[in-house]
Amino acid sequence: MLVLFCYCAGCTGTVPVSLSPMVTSSVDDFSTWNLTVNGTTRLVYSLDQIRESPATTGNGFAVSTVGIKYGPYICTGVLLSDLIEPVGGITPDDQVWISAPDGYLWVFDYDQVQGNGFITFNEELKEIPSPPLKILMMYEQDGKPLSYDDGGPLRVAIISDEKGMVTEGSAWVKWVDTIEIKKK
Amino acid sequence: MGKMGGHNRDQKEMNAPRIFWMLASFFLITLLCSSAGCISGTQQPKKVLKVVPAGSLLQPFAEVEKEFETLHPDVDVQVEGHGSIQAIRQVTELHRLIDVVAVADESLISDLMFRTDPATGTNFTDAFTPFATNAMVIAFTNKSRYADEITQENWYQVLSRPDVRVGFSNPMLDAAGYRSIMVTLLAGRYYQNATIFPVIIGSHFTPPLKAEITEGIETITLPEVLRPKDEKLVIRDGSIFVLSHLEAGGIDYAFEYRSVTEGHNLRSIDLPPEIDLSSPDHAEEYGKVRVILGFQRFSAIGQDRTGQPIVYAVTLPNSAPNRELAQEFADVVVRMAKTGGKGWPASLT
Repeated sequence: MLVLFCYCAGCTGTVPVSLSPMVTSSVDDFSTWNLTVNGTTRLVYSLDQIRESPATTGNGFAVSTVGIKYGPYICTGVLLSDLIEPVGGITPDDQVWISAPDGYLWVFDYDQVQGNGFITFNEELKEIPSPPLKILMMYEQDGKPLSYDDGGPLRVAIISDEKGMVTEGSAWVKWVDTIEIKKK
Repeated sequence: MGKMGGHNRDQKEMNAPRIFWMLASFFLITLLCSSAGCISGTQQPKKVLKVVPAGSLLQPFAEVEKEFETLHPDVDVQVEGHGSIQAIRQVTELHRLIDVVAVADESLISDLMFRTDPATGTNFTDAFTPFATNAMVIAFTNKSRYADEITQENWYQVLSRPDVRVGFSNPMLDAAGYRSIMVTLLAGRYYQNATIFPVIIGSHFTPPLKAEITEGIETITLPEVLRPKDEKLVIRDGSIFVLSHLEAGGIDYAFEYRSVTEGHNLRSIDLPPEIDLSSPDHAEEYGKVRVILGFQRFSAIGQDRTGQPIVYAVTLPNSAPNRELAQEFADVVVRMAKTGGKGWPASLT
């Protein structure tokens, strides 16, 4: 009778869940993904090829336009400058257009590819002078492969050797699949 | 005559403990069952209502959230702010299940959501409800240079001074950004002073931004990377960073929405309705200025922004998981917008 009463009260059996969708994690399959880099020539990379390239690790921390912070992260990936070098690199007359299949696009100029010209904040979102920064094409976040939900397999990360350096999130393009070097 | 005709004393003594344990068991069961979820120790999870408003609505929507959760204690309203275009993209490009979207530019809903969702074959939404308007103003603080001198008549002269720093949000990311540019173009027409836009904004880029006039429409085309060449002009991704800079004394004046300025307890100069984008009566005039963004940040929307009266609108995506609750929430938004308050954009009525 105790069991019967408890069952009827909902103390056993399935707990009702929110009707909102849950974000479920699953093993992401990026085997068919590739990155196209267009400059004076064109190269196409698989994720394995990118992972085989010399890697860089740094500290990343982003903030959205409404002040939501994302991070801090330990970001590992390939420097943007290393990816574009084989297709002709970039000159002061060029810009780098980085885009994703969801239609998002962001443009970086020569100075930014060198790590300059970014706005930086401390963790309290007060503006501070910018230390040397790098544009990383990140495939690992905090030691784990970047998940699709976090923008994987490849996303832009603005990194620093210093911790607690926050940059504007608009440049942190997720799901990158195309990098193009264009004249201004 | 001992056993017939009723209970004898021994039977009564035998039944008393039994009755006691039955009552004790009943009490225990009732106690256990009265706290639902007693085995796990947790309460029933609340229903989540996902709401995505434009950044300039975050302060008022915090009030709506509180009001709604008071009306519905079993609902957890989760508010996630974005720029208006990015707010819509959560539904149209990122395919998230959002219950309510509210934007600072009603035309974005028809442009971006009145189209077919390939996944369902129906539109992303079929309706929206305008609920508020706003006005562009010049925000400043007591620390601003010439704070005691600036007026509704001389604001553009003060902002033009070489030692005055001015800021606004990035037009690529925030409607307030391209509206700021529009205000200076409209000001040039209104005050018949063609130097207003170049001196305050245009001349601080390399190469300088110059308006092209075609068939009476004045157009500014922005570069792909919007980085001023000097410190007079400050552009930040979000309005909150512009205002933070203003409050810290890093800049003297900022173009901002009136509601946001009031919400931050900042001083402000109101602009004539002919240029502040607040009035449908001047829609035709507003339409004579245009800003072309440097690149198409989102493939689903073009790069042209033409001056229009500011109208906020709320919509329920057709994919909203909690449609009835979402409609109730939207109704509360419209109701509270009529009352308004500090930080609220002005009611349409």
